[in-house]
Amino acid sequence: MTELKRSIERVIDDSELPKRLRERVRQTMIDREVDDKSVAEEIVQAVSAQYEANRVDPLEPVGTVSAQSIGEPGTQMTMNTFHYAGVAEIDVTQGLPRLIELVDARKKPDTPMMTVYLEDEFADDREKAHEVVWQIESTRILSLGDVSTNVADMRVTITLNEETLEERMIEPETVQERIESQLGVDASLDGTVIEFGPTQPSYRELLQLVEDLRDIVFKGIEDISRVVIRKEELDEGEEFVLYTEGSSFGDVLDIDGVDATRTITNDIHEIHKNLGIEAAREAIINETMETLEEQGLDDVNVRHLMLVADIMTNNGDISSIGRHGISGAKASVLARAAFEVTVNHLLDAAVHGEIDTLSGVTENVIVGKPIKLGTGDVDLRVGTADQ
Amino acid sequence: MVNVHAHTLVPEHRVMNEDEIEEFLEEYDIDRTDLPKIVAGDAAIPDEASVGDVIEIKRDSRTTTTAYVYRLVIEG
Repeated sequence: MTELKRSIERVIDDSELPKRLRERVRQTMIDREVDDKSVAEEIVQAVSAQYEANRVDPLEPVGTVSAQSIGEPGTQMTMNTFHYAGVAEIDVTQGLPRLIELVDARKKPDTPMMTVYLEDEFADDREKAHEVVWQIESTRILSLGDVSTNVADMRVTITLNEETLEERMIEPETVQERIESQLGVDASLDGTVIEFGPTQPSYRELLQLVEDLRDIVFKGIEDISRVVIRKEELDEGEEFVLYTEGSSFGDVLDIDGVDATRTITNDIHEIHKNLGIEAAREAIINETMETLEEQGLDDVNVRHLMLVADIMTNNGDISSIGRHGISGAKASVLARAAFEVTVNHLLDAAVHGEIDTLSGVTENVIVGKPIKLGTGDVDLRVGTADQ
Repeated sequence: MVNVHAHTLVPEHRVMNEDEIEEFLEEYDIDRTDLPKIVAGDAAIPDEASVGDVIEIKRDSRTTTTAYVYRLVIEG
């Protein structure tokens, strides 16, 4: 069955259900081949009743419910930093450490990583995909050739590997120029052999030069140490997708051949910087949900994570959950003191003569007053019947 | 520079006109400053937006079809 009767369609459309739910009801009815109007009415009524019963009531403490709903499954997550060699053999922090990292809004993730999608012509051609890889992956001297140090002559000799140079599209001259400008030495080039040494014969300086030589990036982006290329199945055909160790979102988006509409990073601050606060919110939801799903805790309702992401991005910047972020910005002294570093907060408040208006939850629990939530926020007034 | 708005993570942003703002502030009985914020230097903010404007964001919602949210433009 592919279509429902008009009368049944009307029953669904007349219901008070939100669009997405209506669509699911319709699809299920098609799958189960419902063709009786009274049955359809019964189904819609049952779904509506469930929907109404599960809606958030006015004055319900949604934040507390979210905290519990994420906290309880959190107890079942792996405690230690567990590196998971998942997609394409790249280590990524998973489980509880990752979740903590996200809600703490750390400046740099423990294991930054990007998923780079390619534009059409690059995505189905391994050669062209590799061209993009060389633009992204940082190329240092050790992957280009052999370095030997001659202590007697005070010279450093690099024998470049011709095949690698060709593969990565680097000229020996470029390597020579990079070395000269970065190390401030005169380097000679003979075929594929580069030679240079310190201006004054000095053992220490010679070793220092070799040290510095290893850090020079000849091609690619400095922060990205490794790129893995993987063929991925799509609904139609296949495409090559790159996974990177290290993240530099802004730089990668500018590279020719990179699909700047799908490429993502696991660094929420980079997303914020390059795509704005709304994209950061989306990224927080996606990342937290994926972290939970990966641990088999996919029954956490996404609404809780949406609330967390909304609060974290509320002031236009990413703020962390905790005393340096959301909890530290609370207006009430008592609420802040109840969370962490109690004495400091009380002392500071006393010094500055702060006033607590007792409008939140925590402070009212402390002083023993009813909280302004649920029935606690409802006042009754006695009036006359004719009013 | 890449087109930020083409990215799948970025929802549609639009600067609202004053009448629309009045209307919905009245509907929810809130002040402009009660809204969530967006900084003027945000990567996805429309070019013509200035501090004090309200941006309407059309999100592709996970729980319903589309959700409209509003952010007040602040300095930064």
